[in-house]
Amino acid sequence: MKKFSHKNISKIGKYKIKIPKRFDKKLANRLFRFMLRLRICELYLEKEYHPADQMKCPVHFCVGEEAIPAVLNELLIEEDFLFSHHRSHGYYLAKNAPMKKLFAELYGKSSGANSGIAGSMDLSYTKKNFFAGAILSGAASIAIGAALSLSLKPKSKAIAVTGFGDGATEEGLFWETINYAGLKKLPILFICENNNYSTYAPQSKRQAGMSIAERVRSFGVDSKQVFGNDVFIVYQELKKAITKARKSRTPFLLEAFTYRQSSHVGPPNDEKVKYKSKKEIKFWKKNCPVALSERVLLMKNFLKKTDINVIKSEIKKEIKSCFDYAKNSEYPSLNSWDDLNLSHNSPLADKLLLDLDKTDFDIEQQTEVSKGF
Amino acid sequence: MEKSKRISYSQAINDATSQAMKMSKDVIIMGQLIDYSSGVFGTTSGLINKFGEKRVKDFPAAESLMTQAGVGAALAGQRVLLVHIRIDFMIYSLDSIVNWLSMWRFKSNRESNVPVVIRAIVGRGWGQGPQHSKSLHAWFAHLPGIKVAIPATAFDAKGLLLESIFSEGPSIIIEHRSLFNLKDIVPNRPYRVRYGKAIVRRKGNDVTLVAIGCNVIDALKAAKILKKDGIDIEVVDPRTLTPLDRETINKSVKKTKRLVVVDPGWESFGAASEIITSVTTRQNLHLISNPLRITLPDSHTPMSLALEEKYYINAQKIVNKIKKLLKK
Repeated sequence: MKKFSHKNISKIGKYKIKIPKRFDKKLANRLFRFMLRLRICELYLEKEYHPADQMKCPVHFCVGEEAIPAVLNELLIEEDFLFSHHRSHGYYLAKNAPMKKLFAELYGKSSGANSGIAGSMDLSYTKKNFFAGAILSGAASIAIGAALSLSLKPKSKAIAVTGFGDGATEEGLFWETINYAGLKKLPILFICENNNYSTYAPQSKRQAGMSIAERVRSFGVDSKQVFGNDVFIVYQELKKAITKARKSRTPFLLEAFTYRQSSHVGPPNDEKVKYKSKKEIKFWKKNCPVALSERVLLMKNFLKKTDINVIKSEIKKEIKSCFDYAKNSEYPSLNSWDDLNLSHNSPLADKLLLDLDKTDFDIEQQTEVSKGF
Repeated sequence: MEKSKRISYSQAINDATSQAMKMSKDVIIMGQLIDYSSGVFGTTSGLINKFGEKRVKDFPAAESLMTQAGVGAALAGQRVLLVHIRIDFMIYSLDSIVNWLSMWRFKSNRESNVPVVIRAIVGRGWGQGPQHSKSLHAWFAHLPGIKVAIPATAFDAKGLLLESIFSEGPSIIIEHRSLFNLKDIVPNRPYRVRYGKAIVRRKGNDVTLVAIGCNVIDALKAAKILKKDGIDIEVVDPRTLTPLDRETINKSVKKTKRLVVVDPGWESFGAASEIITSVTTRQNLHLISNPLRITLPDSHTPMSLALEEKYYINAQKIVNKIKKLLKK
């Protein structure tokens, strides 16, 4: 197994991207379009974020990490469950959830994906089985339950997929999750977007021992490392893993090395903290998923410059309409705090159970105190 | 007349679980050691033979993951019952309960509900000591987004468990192990006891005695003793803390003009404090005496028998405190 680490990747210089033999042209172009759409979406959101200050919501932008969501968008089926970390926008779009509802959510509007109640980190779209959440490793561990449930349905081809960062693998809960996936051989795909930084702290400062991909193998979870900005390699590896997970109902982890060009959380640029070197910023910008694929698609004549300009203007038009939708939507109104938090309906209980009640109780009975264990 | 039998609290839980699993194939149960014949004090014995290992899942010592797995399985269509043989170990899953389970419905603006039921068992007596005896019902009742039941009788244990499994959830059922051997007449058929519906276990005119969980039995015994001295106690068992049936308690206090709460939790910031506050701040009830809370001291539980006796509440202690209150 070729071993990746952030230390040896930055020595690559210029990454030589290739389109694999017999790779479908339309598919390649779709992957590129998805990434470009996500990239422009994030850049425009960042631009509108401040100083306008109308989105009063902590947002973790994902500029530079577009490849994984693009590939998932191609490979996931409607019934699959997708659980993502707090950097959620790409995953949300991967599940074909509507972009305008993402924008409206950030503006805190009732037309948002979560009616403006959850915000960027806890974005979800129930209809498409998409759920994100902030506390590290939480989404990955919930994915185990979905996989467990799917494993009880012999006819189902659906799987559970979860995306998380390298930081999540420091949580004890993550290893409980990996242990259980290996123990029960569940249909679950773990995707670690290793972007080297847990907020500002690099992986080398936080983690001992072998790579994440190697460590999970000791629990019986198969794994692979890839250069995560090469969307074609990511596609090939995830296609293999997903096909296998659907068929043999087994777990797999992909450790994809990538880089977040955005700050940890918007809006202020956090480069002034000086946790990233200028050299690495330059390397990763030059070798970002969008730039790499654009270069090779043009070179192979899959797309022309003019095609890309057309795509860009389509995307910008869509984004403008999403902003209009969000800005023109109403804020949510409040009916009941109680109902918002707790369900007092129980339709199934109404159907299955009869009301019975009884006041008396025998207080004279002799009992012995339970002993020991 | 309903067909019924006299069974213990733990048998009633077993009965409810078995019936729920029979009624719906979606119901699964997870917990440490639930598939051994001892079956978590008898509450899960035999389920593995009836429903198999796909639905009766022994779980590793990974309480956090178990709760998270419950959330995920519920999203994919299961109704999930999680069993914690000791609530103290369940604390590992506090992140899951607080940050995920309880927030789930809220975050989705009511669209996504997760029917997850957590059974949490509290040890008491026979040297359980500080590590196996924490009654943390007030913690969970403080948290929005999760229902909390604390049944005192086998009848209520069965009805509330069935109601929890077949509701939209989530809920936590606090079970005091000292109740597990107590017998009660329990209907054979599946039935429901609703959340937010207190029960007046004994009618009286002099004092409203609200009693929670394992202290309900102590309160009933105390009421019987006090009757001999001509003190007429009304015993109210709230049965669920979230939602809390404030109406029934209010109505009783309006009549008796005295309120005493017996709570098997620590004194400060507890369920007794909440009940007293919610009654007394609502309206001027012209109480004859100050409200009184009878609780555990603000201390962890000692192992030694001698100190255990000082620590726990019993019927005689309730009698003494109420007599003192009435003398004032």
